[in-house]
Amino acid sequence: MNTQSTPIRVLTVDDSASMRALLLGALTSRGFAVEQCEDGQEALEWLASNEVDVIITDINMPRLDGFGLIEKLRGSALHAERPILVLTTESSDEKKQRARNAGATGWIVKPFDTDKLTAALRRVIH
Amino acid sequence: MTAMNPIAAATIEMLRVTIVQGEAKASTDPRVEMSTILGSCVATCLFDPVARVGGMNHFLLAEPPRHVRNQQFDSDYGLFLMELLINQMLGLRASKGRMRARLCGGANLNPDLAPIGTANAAFARQFLDRERIPCVFEDLEGTQARRIQFRPASGQVRARLVPAETAPTQKPLGRPQSALGTVELF
Repeated sequence: MNTQSTPIRVLTVDDSASMRALLLGALTSRGFAVEQCEDGQEALEWLASNEVDVIITDINMPRLDGFGLIEKLRGSALHAERPILVLTTESSDEKKQRARNAGATGWIVKPFDTDKLTAALRRVIH
Repeated sequence: MTAMNPIAAATIEMLRVTIVQGEAKASTDPRVEMSTILGSCVATCLFDPVARVGGMNHFLLAEPPRHVRNQQFDSDYGLFLMELLINQMLGLRASKGRMRARLCGGANLNPDLAPIGTANAAFARQFLDRERIPCVFEDLEGTQARRIQFRPASGQVRARLVPAETAPTQKPLGRPQSALGTVELF
């Protein structure tokens, strides 16, 4: 459980360098501790030996996409209950349902609103 | 599919698709020709030469919406339109690592106003550089509007200068309702 003095640890997973830079700036300016991975495969490898409080992932990524990442994490002991938010340009109900079925905690449409995103992060870790 | 010779191509009826401000579309159809007129707006044409998939977006970024602080320029929305284009191409089996870009537009039509065309051109160049997508052609900035035609299945772009009055409204349309960062918790 996080105390007020410990920053909330976030892992962001997105293959776009621009989006990673944007998220890093937005979240660190609000006091979050941010780690970043370039795709689902890298995230899976990093999460095998590291912990965070919440994961934000894109969907369309090389090697392992967002759906695949969520499914694998939900099958793991360490991250089965970890809050995972999908951050995506995708707008179809089908994809949203697929994310929900895979075990995602929430769905955020790009471009994100920093206030809404940070409020969601604080809400899902409790 | 075999390459068409110019004479055969001329006899095929082209499907002309206009890409207006705020849109991003991709296609593999060799009959499709995407076109638009650009004043200060910028069009990004992306092409994967192996999958023969191409797409174009069209944007004019200006001030961000009220809830976005500390920014003079709505680069978040620009990023969204770039990603929308890339995702559409990925959906047609393109690979980001093979994409090549061509940039057009970004003119500063009115010397008495802030150089919004230059700002949009700079955003596009910076995005491509950051994403490591090579820009193989650019026809940007200056003081004149442009009409561009892009064939997504071949990657060919044609740009020519046109009178400024043919360019559509130079006002940024702003983000649509769908681009306001909605959060849904399951």
